[in-house]
Amino acid sequence: MSMPPHDPKAEHALLARMKQGDETAFVALYRRHKDAVHRFALLYCGSTAIAADVTQDTFLHFITQTAQYDPARGSVGAWLCGVARNLARKQLSVREDATDPQDLGDDASLAEAHIDRDSPLERVLRGEAAEQVRRAVAAIAPHYRDVLILCELSDLSYAEAAQVCGIDIGTVRSRLSRARAQLAQRLAPLLEGAKEAVR
Amino acid sequence: MNSHEPVDLHLAALRAELRTVAAPPALEHALAARFRREHRLPRPRLWWMPPLALAATIALVSWMIRNTLPPLPAPRPAPAAEADAGPFLALRPLERIALEPGSTVVTTEFPRALLADWGLPVSPDRAGEPVRAEMLYSPEGEALAIRLVN
Repeated sequence: MSMPPHDPKAEHALLARMKQGDETAFVALYRRHKDAVHRFALLYCGSTAIAADVTQDTFLHFITQTAQYDPARGSVGAWLCGVARNLARKQLSVREDATDPQDLGDDASLAEAHIDRDSPLERVLRGEAAEQVRRAVAAIAPHYRDVLILCELSDLSYAEAAQVCGIDIGTVRSRLSRARAQLAQRLAPLLEGAKEAVR
Repeated sequence: MNSHEPVDLHLAALRAELRTVAAPPALEHALAARFRREHRLPRPRLWWMPPLALAATIALVSWMIRNTLPPLPAPRPAPAAEADAGPFLALRPLERIALEPGSTVVTTEFPRALLADWGLPVSPDRAGEPVRAEMLYSPEGEALAIRLVN
């Protein structure tokens, strides 16, 4: 997954036309960013249904609050990811509130609780390995997972990830490093199994 | 081999799988419709309608009142003019009256018998009746002329 090529001039021209009510400009921007936003929401929420809602709400926000986007602070794609992240967090907090606190343990179990077991990603991610990685990503602590999804799976720059998460670039780097370490730890059994299979 | 390499390989596998994932196609239609609603041309501003309607109402009501009420009666003559029985009768020489700068006319009522004091004829039968008259007084209060009103 990757963000669309960042062409600020073209995007800002489309944005200006969109603000004037040009529907074709909006549709062009939507088509440019919809999949990246949807994939981001999917990874974040672990549910295709919630991801669809988050994607729709993100672009509704884009339509109604276009003026909130400040070109000086990053790309449209990064801003949309930030909106999607906030909306996804709200969705997840609603689900958290509906969860029995006794069922919640540490961060990892909290992340697991966010996974929609009834409509999991395996419907979408047919590859078994990819699904296992996705599960491992979903299981790491949320503040590390955010940075991992943004930098490794959404191809945002460190600066853009910092903007989305409201942290500085140094924190992005350190969290990304820890996220990768946690991911490696969670994927270790999978690697061992693969090695034994090879023997 | 870098310890992170397996992680990179797995992330690459996930990225490859995610490339097949797309936003639901139905979203575009719904969002485009919403965009059209949000950017629908605003209705012409009609801020001038209420004041105009108010002014028209006031004008109409005023016109109706003017055309419904009976015509105003003609101005009544002043009481003095109405009872003007004749010119003032000078009680002092005309030259003296002409020289008075600030004389005033006062309507008053007194016994008819007083007329005799100014040399005016009084019927003895009516001497006790009151009489209304306009008196021309000098600034010092001296009676200069009199005109009987009734």
